Formats: sequence, C-alpha cells, structure tokens
Amino acid sequence: MSNLDTVRVKTLPRQLAWRLFKHEAKRGELSIILFAIILSVAAVLSLSLFSERLQGALTDRSAEFIAADRQLSARHPLDPLWIAQAKTFSLATAEQTSTRSMAFANDELALVDLRAVSDTYPLKGSIKLAPELFATGVATTQIPQTGEAWLDSRLFQLLGVTIGDAIELGDASFTVTQILSEIPDGGFSVFNADPMVLINQQDIAATNVTGPGSRVNYKAYFTGDENDLEAFFDALSPQLDRQIHRWLSVQDDTSPIGESVARAEQFFLLASLLAIVLAAVAIGVAAQRYAQRHFDPVAIMKTLGASTSTIRKVYLYQISFIALLGIILGTIVGFLLQQIVVSALAGTVEVSLQVWYWRPLLIAIFTGSVCALLFCLYPLLGLFSIPPLRVLRRDISATFSSRGGQYITAGGAILLMMWVYSQNLKISLILFVSGLILVGLLLASTFGLIALGRVLGKGRMGAWQLAWARIKRRSLDNSVQLISFALTIMLLLVVLVMRNDIVQQWRDQLPQGTANYFLANVTEEQRPKLVEHFAKNGIDTDGLYPVSRGRFVKVNDELIRTDITKEDEDTTNETRRGLGREANLTWDTQLQSGNEIIAGQWHDQWTPQNSTLPEGVYPVSIEERVGERMRIGMGDELTFNIGSEIVTVQITSVRTVNWQTMQPNFFFVLHPAAMSQFRANYITSFYLPPERKPELTRLMAPFASVTMFDVDARINQVRSIIDQVSAAIEFILVLVLVAGSLVLVAQVQASMDERQRELAILRTLGAKGMMIRLSVIYEFLIIGLVAGFMAALANEVSLYLLQTNVFQMQSSLHLEYWVIAPITGAVVVGLLGAASCWRLLSMNTQVLLRKML
Amino acid sequence: MIKTKDLIKTVSTSEGELQILQPVNFSVEAGESIAIIGASGSGKSTLLGLLAGLDTATSGEIWLDDAPLHDLDEEARAQLRGEKVGFIFQSFMLVPSLTALENIMLPAEIIGLDNPKARALAVLKQVGVEHRAGHYPNQLSGGEQQRVAIARAFITSPKILFADEPTGNLDAQNSHNVETLLFDLNKQSHTTLILVTHDPELAQKCDRQLAMTAGELVEVISNNASDGNSAQQDQEASA
Ligand SMILES: Nc1ncnc2c1ncn2[C@@H]1O[C@H](COP(=O)(O)OP(=O)(O)OP(=O)(O)O)[C@@H](O)[C@H]1O
Ligand SMILES: [Mg+2]
Repeated sequence: MSNLDTVRVKTLPRQLAWRLFKHEAKRGELSIILFAIILSVAAVLSLSLFSERLQGALTDRSAEFIAADRQLSARHPLDPLWIAQAKTFSLATAEQTSTRSMAFANDELALVDLRAVSDTYPLKGSIKLAPELFATGVATTQIPQTGEAWLDSRLFQLLGVTIGDAIELGDASFTVTQILSEIPDGGFSVFNADPMVLINQQDIAATNVTGPGSRVNYKAYFTGDENDLEAFFDALSPQLDRQIHRWLSVQDDTSPIGESVARAEQFFLLASLLAIVLAAVAIGVAAQRYAQRHFDPVAIMKTLGASTSTIRKVYLYQISFIALLGIILGTIVGFLLQQIVVSALAGTVEVSLQVWYWRPLLIAIFTGSVCALLFCLYPLLGLFSIPPLRVLRRDISATFSSRGGQYITAGGAILLMMWVYSQNLKISLILFVSGLILVGLLLASTFGLIALGRVLGKGRMGAWQLAWARIKRRSLDNSVQLISFALTIMLLLVVLVMRNDIVQQWRDQLPQGTANYFLANVTEEQRPKLVEHFAKNGIDTDGLYPVSRGRFVKVNDELIRTDITKEDEDTTNETRRGLGREANLTWDTQLQSGNEIIAGQWHDQWTPQNSTLPEGVYPVSIEERVGERMRIGMGDELTFNIGSEIVTVQITSVRTVNWQTMQPNFFFVLHPAAMSQFRANYITSFYLPPERKPELTRLMAPFASVTMFDVDARINQVRSIIDQVSAAIEFILVLVLVAGSLVLVAQVQASMDERQRELAILRTLGAKGMMIRLSVIYEFLIIGLVAGFMAALANEVSLYLLQTNVFQMQSSLHLEYWVIAPITGAVVVGLLGAASCWRLLSMNTQVLLRKML
Repeated sequence: MIKTKDLIKTVSTSEGELQILQPVNFSVEAGESIAIIGASGSGKSTLLGLLAGLDTATSGEIWLDDAPLHDLDEEARAQLRGEKVGFIFQSFMLVPSLTALENIMLPAEIIGLDNPKARALAVLKQVGVEHRAGHYPNQLSGGEQQRVAIARAFITSPKILFADEPTGNLDAQNSHNVETLLFDLNKQSHTTLILVTHDPELAQKCDRQLAMTAGELVEVISNNASDGNSAQQDQEASA
C-alpha cells in the first residue's frame, strides 16, 4: 500500500461516517437520538439553571435574616484588622454591637435590647421604620445619625416618650427620631423579650454600657462573591477561636425559612435527577435501535474487508458529532426554555437577576456526554461485534451482547450522574435502590404477565389474542418497554406527590389564623385581666404558658459556676455548649401539640406520692436537640437556681418539638409541683387579622409592661416562599411530563421497524384493519396498565424512603394513586402508542411491503 | 486458487452437536467457474462462508490464493477479503444509507485504491445503471440493486468472486440479465467464480458443478464436460 493509500484509508472513517450520517439525518431516523440528547441537555440545563436562579433568590432572602452572606459574632470585640482584611478580599463589611441595657426617660426605666450599627449595615435586607406606633414597617436605607435613637413601638408606651423626646442609654443621651419596626437580624425569640433601640455605632462608646460585667455581642458582616467569601474564611480561620467566635453563613440558617429553603433545594436536586434518568432512558433506547439498524451495514463493511478499527471509528465519529450537536442545540433550547418560563412566571416567582451560571452548563455538558457515551457504549459494542457471516446467515446477531453488563453500565452511569449532580450520595442511593427494586419487580411482573397471557390470550385469534401474542413474543423488549414506561410514570408520581406533600405540610404549619403576635412578660396579676380584655375584643389567645428563667447550678454532680466574671461566663457557655448559663423553663402536665415523647414517659401521671425519684426531685422533659448539645439525657439530674431557690429535677422524658410551627416552644418542661412556690410570667400568642392592626395600640395600652412581637411579616414571607416553591415545582412537573412523554414516543418509535414487518405480514395474510388497530391499542393499554400499577407500587416505596430518610417528613400511603396511576398509565400509553402507530396502521399493504424492501 | 482439506463444520444446537459439513476436499483452479447446487439446508451457504473467510471451520484447512485461511485471524481475513474477494448475495446487501455510487466505491475505499469515484463510475456504466448513481437502494428495483451489487463486487478486480444465489430474488427476465452480466464480467476479468444456486440453467453455465447433499460435496459430471479435467476433479472431490 503506498503512502498515499494509507492517508486515504485514514480519512475513510470520517468520510464514511459523514456519508452515513447525512443520509440518516435526511431520512429523519438518526434525529431521534439527536433529539434525545437535545432534550436531555435542554431539560437538565433549564431545570438546573432555573433552580440555580431560584435558589439564588431564596438564598438572598435567607441572607436577609443574617443581614449578610456571612456573619462573625463573638463576646469580645472583634479585631479591626479582620475587617480590613475582608476588604482586601473585595468583601463588603458592616458591624453591630449589641447588649442589654437600661433606658431612662421621664423617670421611667426599661430594659432594652441596644443595637449599635455601622453605616453600611445591613448588607442584606433592610431596616424598617413604622410611620406610627405598631404600624407596618417601611424600608429605609439610613441608619440613625449620631445622637439619634430609633425606638421600638413598645418602648414609646413603656417610657411614655414621643418623637423628639430625649432618652438616656447608659451615660449618653439621645434624641428619639424614628419608630423602629424591624431590623434584618433582629432575631426572633420570645425570651429575649426586650424592646429594641437602634443607635449609631459611633455612639456606643459614650454610653459606657459595654464595660466589664456586661454581656456584649459583637458582630461583623460580610458580603461578596462566594469564592471571595470562602477564601476570606480560609484566611481568617486560623485566627479564630472556636470557643469564642461564631461563624454563620446563609446556609446555617436554622429558622423555619432557612429550613424551607434547604428543603426546596433538595427538591430541585431530586427533580433534576428525574430529568436525567428520563433522558438516559431515551438515549439508551435510541442507541439500541440505531445499533440494530446498522447490523447489516457493519456486516457488509466487514465482508468487504473493513478492519474493526475502521468500523469503530465510523460510528464513534457519528456519536461524537451527534453528542456535540445535541449539546449545543440543547444548551440553546434549554436556555431559551428557562428564560421563557421565568418571564411567564414573572411576578409570581422571584428569581435572581443573574441570568447565566456556569455550573448548570457544566452539568448539562457532562450529562449530555455521559449519556451519549455510556448509554451508547453497549449497543455500539454489540454493533462492532457483528460477524461478517451475517451477510449469509441473516439470523446471526451481535456476538457481544451482555445485557447484564449493559445494565450495570447504564445503572452506574445514572448513579454517577445522580451523585455528581446532587453531591448527595444518600439521596442518590435511595433513588437508585428504589429504581432497582422497581426494575426487579417489573421483570418479575413481566414474566408473570406472560404466563398470565398464555391463559388470557387463549381462544380464536382476535385483536385481544393478537395483542397478547405480541406481548408474549417480545417478552424481553416488552419488559424493557414496561420498565421505562413504569419509570416515567413513577418519576411523575414522585414529583407530584412530593410537591403536594411538601407544599401541603408547609401550608399546614401556617394555617389561616396562625398566631401572628406573641406576648411575653405577662404577670400572674395581669393574666386574668388580659384574657378578659382580649376576649372582650374578640381575640383568642392560644393559652398562656408560664415561664421562668432558671440558672444552671449543677448537672448531676458537676458544678456549674455561674459567678458573673467575664471569663468564667464565657467558658461555661462554651464548654457546656448549652443555651448559656440560663434556661427558660415552663411547667405543665399537658403535652403541647406538635411535641412528641421519644424516650421515657411524659410526667402527667406523676405525683409526689407515686414518685420513684429521690425526695424533692421533680420530673423534667427536655427537647431532643438541646439534650444532644448539652450532652444530657434520660436519668440525668439538673439543678436550677430560680429566683433564690434551688430546684432539682431529673430528666424523665425526651421530646421532639416541631420548630416549624409558629407557637411558643420550650426546651425544658417541668412538673408544676416543682414550681408551686414561684411567681410566674406568662407568654402567649394570638392571631389578629391584618385589617385590625390599627387597634393594636389601643389593645395593648393597659399592658404597657407586656412585651409584644409582631411576626406577621415573617409569616407572610414564609407563605410567599411556599408559593414560589410550589410554582417552581409545577414548572418542573411540566418539564418531567414532557420528557416522559418523549421517552414513551421514542420507545414506540424504537419498535416501529418490527411492527411494520409484522403488520405487512398480517395484512398479506388478510387480517382486518380494525382488528389490527384494536390489537395495537390493547397491547399498549395492557402495558400502560401494568406499568402504572408497578409505578404506584414503586412510588410508594421510594416516597417512603425519601420522606423518612431525606426530608424527615411524615410519610403516608397514597392510595388514590393506586387507582390513578394504572388508569392514566393505560390511557396515556394507549393514546401515545396508538397515535405513534396510527400512520403505520392506516397504510395499505402495498405501501407497507414497499417500505420493507 | 482454492483448496480445502478435510474441511468440517459442526455447530452445537439445543439437540446436541450437528455436523453441517462432512469432510470436504476439493480444489478450484484460477479462472474456473464453479456452481454449487443442492437442496435447501444442505450446507451450501455454510461452505461458501468458510471459503470466503467469513466463518471459521471446526477443523480442516482452506487455502485461498496460497494463503492459509484457517490460520488467519479475523482482521487478516478481512484484509484478504478486501484485496482478493468479491461478493454477490441473494438479498443484494447494499448499505441502505449509501447511494448506489457510494455503495460501489465502498470496497475500493476500504482497501485504499486511488480514484475510487472514477472507478465506481466506470463499473457503474459497465453494469448499465449509471443513471441511478445518486439513488439509494430502496429507490432501485431488485434487478438494479443486484447490478449495483455486481458493480461493487468487481470494482476491486477481485481474484475470486463468491455468489450466493445471486438471482434468487429476481424474476426470469432480470435473472437472465444479471446472469449474462455476471458471466461477461467474469470472463473479462478472469475471475475465479464460486456460485451457489438452485437454478440448473445457471449451474449449466459454469465450468464445473458440485452437488451438496447433507453436507457432502460431490462433483457432477455434466453432459457438456469437454475435457478430462473434470473427471480428475471428480475423484478429488469425492475422495
Ligand atoms: N450456526 C448454526 N447453528 C445451527 N444450525 C446451523 C448453523 N449454521 C447452519 N446451520 C444449519 O445447517 C444447515 C445448512 O445451512 P446452510 O445455510 O448452509 O444451507 P443452504 O444449503 O445454504 O440452504 P439454502 O439453500 O436454503 O440457502 C441448515 O439446516 C442450517 O439451519
Ligand atoms: Mg443458502
């Protein structure tokens, strides 16, 4: 062979690949695989781009609750160098100093939550000012000027001041200039019940309230690019003392909203995984068909002397070209699709204004190439192994066919993509294992079905018998088809149910009439008056819970020092990592709703007479997480100093508490007998319809010393997030539905050649058109029905696993889907199947036979 | 040109071992045309597949133009096929997604001949379907497809041509045309022809006829045998 010839042979595969491809594209058959890649890339890209943007918006929201992207807090002043250092990382910074202090005005005195902030505060969210007492706040970009103080509505009542009056904080005097409604990281605790005062940071020194012995909290805020933030934290980290400094990022937000965002994030990941699996199925099916149609050309080329490597290249070139084209077109389509949805949802759903993220593109490219390569691998390996002898013996098929290997590769590829995509092995494994269970069940049911078919399909050959005969004969193809139909239906069900369950559970936590105001510091004397006053005004209070602050003295025999010296205080706090040296105690014999005993026994049956505890020791129930944090559990003895008395209690039960509800929750619930000698303060909550808001001032007037919190804004915020998430999920549902339908169509397309052949034979044998049509419809109805049934079963299993293991939700049976799924399965698969075959079915015999040649 | 020695093919089926070919011994001189006839299922195609190196024998030797086919691996056999062998099949076996011209160019391109297109156009003209150059196989009639297949078989000027029932799918008129074309080209290029057929008339046109019965190959002494060569072959074939 001359040099020239060698070159020619080398360029041959590319030429041949292109020649074959050109014609395939013209005949519109290869476009199925191209379309599958476009679809998968577009679905993955649009879903993940959309969720990225939505998450961006949600994170921005939750950033508002810490007033920044990151927050560093400590009990000691923070090193000013750190702030300077943050600026070198191009981060925006702000500072806040807060303490509890006394405020004086008009000879009145009140304990206040004093916050001094720097000019740039807040970095995220905004300070809100009320135009009049207790009115809804309006955002401002300002902070108090030096010498100014902005006061909480309650404080105006408590101190009897008005705008323009003077107020003394520590050693300094301020002019009251605004009614403070809220600040982004105002915190939300019924127990830190003091009304807030906002001043300028430059004034804090003059007040002299941050001296030794006072509990001061110093915070620094940082905002900027995520990479810069991480780099800064890495640089700062070695200088931080974990005992003293607390680093908080948006993701650490454990408020109900923060948890909602985290759940939404998981949900989007899940939905993206569904799209991947659907795409993979479509590509696998298309590749299989593509390979099968090329058995003959490969046998011919081999017969004509082509080497295996030439043939390999011919097809690898084609696949690479299709993958590349698919990825490019898919990216464009996906981006446009996402953009269209975003603009269609504008107004209902808040998305970040940033329109492009690289991560979704990388994931889409990764998905596209992995799908194209891994899902085409086995069909192609089969294709390459076609022996040339096929030209003589037509029944010879691929010598390499390892269905096991194919499934392992495909499964491995899916798992790999799930993992890479979700970065969560647990979710991936749960989904994967339930998928495997589904496949196993389906295989079993297919064979069961075939056995059943032997019975059902007996009798004179009619449409029904023909349908069964077809199902029976192509049992393996059918099981593959069944599995993918069932997978699709299951994925749709999972998304649907998760959407309903998640959104419903969120909504259930905030039913209409959810308490939107909290009251604290209600005294024993005020209690009956308050209840009566509120009742007279037609407002229900949600029960009054007694609270008292107790100081830890001992845990078992370990003494806890509570002297107020600064150093000790800090070490006590941090080594015990409890709630500080003080805890809020309540006492009751009735278990609060949303609480659940997980260990021991609730103390409603306990009396001093039947007590098994040591003399003078009372039962206490603790919340699970506080127990873990303080490393205390069943049987441990806690000693509190309440007022000036010592009370010893033993942990007799551990509770879980639903923190997502807007009701007062407690870490420690004592038996009332323990507290009989103490005067209690009470807390309660109530719902006031928005239109009655103006009445608040009048309503609260007789109880100026009572602390009130307005959580209306917070609740509305949570509700709007729920609405957003729900709208987003609907979008995903539509996408998955489209992807699923396309998989179904691709499946039917894949069996088209064979159907055509079969039909031609049936027609020539004189079968009536009606009978053939009916038999096709029956065939799809049967497959759809079984697939739907299997999907309902698999759905139940995977939902159970997901809800109990991943989302920590109450799981429940979804009986309605056991009816809905098979029926919709039958209808949808029947319709889609019949529709895709219709053209074929209505062809006359002549055309059919011609097409076959 | 072709020589076999104790060629045996057995396959394992669900009913146990099945011997498709009894020991086959025969040889073919260069330029000869041989017809293999026999009942359906007697093993003709099996033998053809072995001779062409498409399949491997269970035991025995095959020498193809002095190359030991039984010792070559699939890659080497493919190269040998490309360079020395041409094929014509009952079902034409054109690549459906290539045009007539591209189908004809294919073997020339695979072994790296220069000017494949010019060569292809030339043979296309010889078989008389040059007006169909840009058509795809499904746009051609059976006769036209088989002509294209013949053109594809001759483009590399093979030393040996294997044809498995080349007229099996054609009507009488087309069969006749294809036969004529095949033998004309064969004569022109001095190709050795091994032809499997059911058609006695077609078999008659060959220099020698071999009959396959249940895996056994026997030389048929034809009426128009004109030289002593065939008698000698007969002995060899039935030995
Ligand atoms: N790999 C195999 N496995 C099982 N049986 C085989 C195999 N190869 C060939 N046979 C059987 O061997 C016999 C010979 O087959 P072959 O195709 O050679 O017959 P043939 O003479 O070409 O028939 P026809 O004239 O119908 O083309 C047939 O019965 C065939 O079924
Ligand atoms: Mg045959």
